[in-house]
Amino acid sequence: MAKLLAILRKDLRLELRSGLSTIALVSLSLLILIVLVFALPASATGVEPAAGALWVAMIFSGMLGATRALSAERENGCIRALLLSPVDPATIYAAKLAAAFIFMAVAEVAAILMMVLFFNLEFGARIIRLLPVILLGALGFAALATLLAAISGRTRAGDLLLPMLAVPMFVPALIAGVKASAAALAGEPLAAMGAWLKILLAFDVLFVASGYLLFEFVAGED
Amino acid sequence: MSPAIVEARQLAMNFGATPVLRAVDLRLEAGRGAIITGGNGAGKSTLLKLLAGINSPSHGQALLFGTEARALAAGQRRRVGLMTHQSFLYPNLTARENLEFYAALYELRAPRDAAERWLTRVGLAAAAGERVRALSRGMEQRLSAARALIHEPNAILMDEPFAGLDSGGVAIVGALIKEALARKSAVLMTAHGALAIEGVELERFELSRGRLAAPKAETRTGRLRSLLGG
Repeated sequence: MAKLLAILRKDLRLELRSGLSTIALVSLSLLILIVLVFALPASATGVEPAAGALWVAMIFSGMLGATRALSAERENGCIRALLLSPVDPATIYAAKLAAAFIFMAVAEVAAILMMVLFFNLEFGARIIRLLPVILLGALGFAALATLLAAISGRTRAGDLLLPMLAVPMFVPALIAGVKASAAALAGEPLAAMGAWLKILLAFDVLFVASGYLLFEFVAGED
Repeated sequence: MSPAIVEARQLAMNFGATPVLRAVDLRLEAGRGAIITGGNGAGKSTLLKLLAGINSPSHGQALLFGTEARALAAGQRRRVGLMTHQSFLYPNLTARENLEFYAALYELRAPRDAAERWLTRVGLAAAAGERVRALSRGMEQRLSAARALIHEPNAILMDEPFAGLDSGGVAIVGALIKEALARKSAVLMTAHGALAIEGVELERFELSRGRLAAPKAETRTGRLRSLLGG
């Protein structure tokens, strides 16, 4: 646990020092929401387009966040030192996942605020009910993107490879997330969100377990 | 025969169809130092990467403490120190923060104190708060040596540890190597040309086109010096 915290503290310190990930994630979320709010017809300002727009922003910002969390390790070959140190690769993955999740969560809070403003929604209990859906989605996507970023970072076409791998694999969770978010924003009862939340939770377990078990094999050099 | 700390058995590496290392045998016991010299492309860095467990050999075995280098348990990895052409330092962290981070990874007690102590040892106490990005090449190399040795490893692998250092830096890193040998660590390093460290007996190997020539023991009583440059 101490080693996990040491890696996470180092990643957060690097981020606080540069601010690049958070600024880029928030800017990207803002850009996507602005484009969508103007691209959608005026009649389509209900909760479903808002939920869809929020998840599009989350997917793109999540890919950026996961890439950033691992790219710092590629500078000066630091990932080699991490893998050769007496730290379990699964612990390295857990620390990287935690960092990517925190970056995404910060960006998502900003994206929710912008969504409320752009789609004329009301701040209130419905937004609070949206939080667990978004946090589950962010955890699942951060888990998947961190694992895939470790693979794609080793290839020259890594920036292209990551979205090509991550988006199709995340589609089932994405559908569940959009549906659960729309239900939360529409103020539907918890039972209406329940099935979608279970799907999100199942994908979270799948992605986190896969990353935890496979990171050792994808982060090395051969 | 004492158990080997670092050992290569018929170690070979091919990049595609090109052989880079050919049937290298090497054995280094506790408290022994060795230097492998050779020109560019001789295979020195590849040999060290195999012995460190970064890459898998095409044939043969790379062993540390009698175990395949790529299969070391966490407790054994803690006993290895590696210095390569890449410094393994985070450019946006300060010199102190980098050492503190590695001290924490290697479970040293009081990582901050260890970082301060090693910064002093490599003559970088005044630059402790500088980001690595702002350090000169020689300062980064000294910091890299401190990073590789901060946990006092038993097996030390150093790829051209004196590259980019001025005479003061060479003396500092040379003293750290001498101290490690006195602590009964095994030290394997590479260089372009022959090197000598005052009062230290080094086995000398020549690596040429992937083949390792027979060892010759060397002791220098003069100051640390580079005989052929590099």
